[in-house]
Amino acid sequence: MPAEEHPNKAAFLQRVREALGRSEPLLHMPDHPTLKAALPRQEEKVRTVRARVEVSRARNIKRLVETATAASWYVHGPVAAEDAADVVAEIATGLRARRVVRSSEDIFRRVNVDGALRRNGISATVLASGRSRGRSTLKGLAFEADLGITGVTYAIAETGTCVVTPRKGVARITSLAPPAYVALVEADQVLGSMDDYFALTRLAHQKSRGRVPTYVNFISGPSRTADIEQTLTIGVHGPGVVHMVLIE
Amino acid sequence: MAKVKSAEFQKASARAVRDEGIQHALTHVMDHFTEARAEAIATDYSDESWEAMRTRAAAIKAHTIGSLDYYLDLADKSVRRNGGHVHFADDAAAATQIVIDIAKRHGVKRAIKSKSMVSEEMGLNDALERAGIEPVETDLGEYIIQLAGETPFHIIAPAMHKTRGEVSDLFHDWLKSAPTSDIARLCSIAREALREKFETAEMGITGANFVVAETGTVVIVTNEGNGRMTTSTPRVHVAICGMEKLLPAIEDLALFLRLLPRSATGQRATSYTSFISGPRAASDEDGPEEFHLIFVDNGRLNLLKDEVLREALSCIRCGACLNHCPVYRKVGGHAYGWVYSGPIGAVVTGPMTGMKQAADLPYASTLCGACRDVCPVKIDLPKLLLHLRHRHAEGSPRDERTGTWMERLYMRRWHDAVKTRGALERSTRLGRLLQKPLVRRGKLRSLPLPLVSGWTKDRDFPALAPKPFRQIWREGLGEGGDAG
Ligand code: SF4
Repeated sequence: MPAEEHPNKAAFLQRVREALGRSEPLLHMPDHPTLKAALPRQEEKVRTVRARVEVSRARNIKRLVETATAASWYVHGPVAAEDAADVVAEIATGLRARRVVRSSEDIFRRVNVDGALRRNGISATVLASGRSRGRSTLKGLAFEADLGITGVTYAIAETGTCVVTPRKGVARITSLAPPAYVALVEADQVLGSMDDYFALTRLAHQKSRGRVPTYVNFISGPSRTADIEQTLTIGVHGPGVVHMVLIE
Repeated sequence: MAKVKSAEFQKASARAVRDEGIQHALTHVMDHFTEARAEAIATDYSDESWEAMRTRAAAIKAHTIGSLDYYLDLADKSVRRNGGHVHFADDAAAATQIVIDIAKRHGVKRAIKSKSMVSEEMGLNDALERAGIEPVETDLGEYIIQLAGETPFHIIAPAMHKTRGEVSDLFHDWLKSAPTSDIARLCSIAREALREKFETAEMGITGANFVVAETGTVVIVTNEGNGRMTTSTPRVHVAICGMEKLLPAIEDLALFLRLLPRSATGQRATSYTSFISGPRAASDEDGPEEFHLIFVDNGRLNLLKDEVLREALSCIRCGACLNHCPVYRKVGGHAYGWVYSGPIGAVVTGPMTGMKQAADLPYASTLCGACRDVCPVKIDLPKLLLHLRHRHAEGSPRDERTGTWMERLYMRRWHDAVKTRGALERSTRLGRLLQKPLVRRGKLRSLPLPLVSGWTKDRDFPALAPKPFRQIWREGLGEGGDAG
């Protein structure tokens, strides 16, 4: 059940309308190109996007490596899936990470991160319900961890971005609270531009009758600030060290 | 509402110009921003040119503002469909009351805040404190000025006027940390101090850079990660935004997310962009159980009513017009006396808070046009400033009177003014100073501001507009087109 309409809404909108020189609500949806595209047109658009992403994959990956590096990601690979776990373990040992947290998602079936870490004497804690106890435990574990590892839903070559979508199995803080972070990106998740991503998102929204993920993050490099004397400093509230592992 | 001290613009400017620390910071930081921006827009980003992007963004914002009632309604329905609550607040007091009521209902003792200019308008921190709730700013710059008891000096860099020594002293006083001149160390002191707050605060308060009407999505752009913390760890999230922050559809975001970081900090993308569509789902691992979005008017209707000033509602608060303004670069942010500074502050402060007390602000401009040329949504700030000067000259006509005859009168006067230099000069207080040639060999030799002597003694200003001032002048300001 949606929340009730705010009691001031009608009066508020009426004042806005009058300021615009109208006394009545608009009868039709205003004419705006991105809003107008109904489902069939959006589907067609997304088919084009997918085809473009398919043929430009190699170029997009090359560009992602450039833009991500420019945004201060440490980029690894592309490596074969069977080697990716070792790359992660190497990162973890290089950071001298002792407390590692990770999400619970499909990618970890293909990339045996736990095994590789275990061989290096590190055990990863899964931050997901049923595995840890309750909200404060989850928070506490993430805040004490040295390293967080998650998969992504997409990566965007244009901006050096990993798109992380918290949901069941993927806590918001896994990619945020620890001082270092590793994102696992598979080649077929790499999009060319933000336009590609938003076209896909809008289609998903239309097809699911208005449902969108509750929370999405674009992560485009380490946490940074220049608030003191315009001097760039990394690792303020989020991870200061971010690794992107590209997987073929 | 936060106190408006714009009536003291002249005195405050004079003070700022004499303050060596502020002058040093302004020179240093402003150059950094303008260079980073220039570099960022010179690199390629998509198939669209920078100019084409600006034109399209201006059109989308104008369209959205022109149908604002429709989009507010759509956003309201979308956010509620996503399980959130939506509020409509006429003024700062109403918005503040809504926040406090939510906090009381949840027994909130501590609220963490990510940067929100609207909450500055509201003077929200003071109000929360009075209600027994501890507000904690989490953006490093905002945190510093909160400890210092000040207001933001710049939209993007609120504490840019503070030196590391001053920050160290503040941290020493408030957090008992050892004095240090190491900036990285200062950042980690703040990190540690705020971690505890992130772990324990029951409520997160943020602004919104954009609100997507169709999907009911609040977009927050940050670099530090405090925006993500604020929207992840507390039980309740309250987003507060001006009613103009809307975009129609999620696909419009790509364009605005290209324009905003490049214009603001010269980045291709900020470190984090968060898209929040309602409270956590039952199956989500974490995140706030309740989500509120407050749309705030607080004087924006006065801008909307005026068909010329309406354009100011397209502002995406990037700060570029501040960085390129020869006046802001000399007097800094506090002189403007309220929340918004620079050219955009000079435009909106009067209409939003009362024309009388902000009467000086429309004159705090050389009309050099640099702001208009860099604005990512092409707001014609010099035109709006002239319009305000004329409204002022007309004896501050009430907003209801900006009907057709007012408009005709204004248009005639404006055209007269830009056609003949004399008329404009008479119509502005700056006029008499503008008789001297300003631009010589690409440098602005003297700034036409009568407020402060010794204004340009120490340095030349770059002539920031791509066209010489005289040429823009001859072409009639607003009609000169974009050479940028
Ligand atoms: S008026 Fe334009 S340049 Fe100035 S802050 Fe707003 S969007 Fe940026």
